[in-house]
Amino acid sequence: MSSNLGALLSATFYERGDEHLVEVIHQRDAARYRRLASLDIGVWDEAGTRLAAPAVDAGREILDVEALVAAVPGAPARVMVTFDARYDPAIFPYRPHHYAYLHRRGSPAPALYYAVNAGLGGVPDRIGATAINNFETYVFRRRPLAERYSLLLGCLSRWAPVEATITAHYGEARLAREVRLAPRAHVEVPLAAEHEGHRLARVELKALFRLVAYVVGRAEAGGELVLFDHLFTYFK
Amino acid sequence: MSAPEPADDLLLCYCTGLTVGELRRACAQGRWPLADKDATGKLCTGCVGDLLYCLRRFGAEPRI
Repeated sequence: MSSNLGALLSATFYERGDEHLVEVIHQRDAARYRRLASLDIGVWDEAGTRLAAPAVDAGREILDVEALVAAVPGAPARVMVTFDARYDPAIFPYRPHHYAYLHRRGSPAPALYYAVNAGLGGVPDRIGATAINNFETYVFRRRPLAERYSLLLGCLSRWAPVEATITAHYGEARLAREVRLAPRAHVEVPLAAEHEGHRLARVELKALFRLVAYVVGRAEAGGELVLFDHLFTYFK
Repeated sequence: MSAPEPADDLLLCYCTGLTVGELRRACAQGRWPLADKDATGKLCTGCVGDLLYCLRRFGAEPRI
């Protein structure tokens, strides 16, 4: 394989009952169909054990994550799914990433569209970006959505564990929590919606290196995802 | 039990394209950091933990 290929390792979380599609490459020109050079999929449990490595066609535009996970015997209710891609830089002219669609089957909640987190790569040397992306933050809307909030975190390193600090802000108060993740492990960290009469206003995530991280909001009743978004880099 | 030796063909830094083998050889020859890989660990930052792990394992000072 050519050493001129770019590399991108992204990850998302699949939860049982969700329709979940990943648009691997956003096609812009029917006459010039773009495809990845290769794509390796991994399905991981919370402890970081690889449950499966389903083979997929790297030329596929859309991957059905629900179908991929359904084929994994004994898959738990939530798994991390990794997308390890090699690509010709011409097909992602700027920041390479995948997009996704997510909806709990049968839920009245609207579907969610999001950019799949890039854990390794996504900032190729050629674009020269210098913003630090292992300190991230998310500002919540003032009007609550009557949800339960959390962070879903995944570690994409191969050998190094990571300790991360999660700080939730409520008015002038802060609640901090430390988590430690083994390589390829993942965890959901609940965030209290209120503290001492103040709504959850902001959350910060700090770690030695970039984690896969999503801000999550769940419907109070069914627990389906009604918010699934990336955090924002702290420094610009 | 020690962890298995990182394989040389593994891609370590997805932003600069540094492989484990390139890092191992550079460390053995006292050439780390390589001139064209000096942004390793500083772009997406996702490989920093693994980079420090490999530097320590290959006998180099674990810093970026």
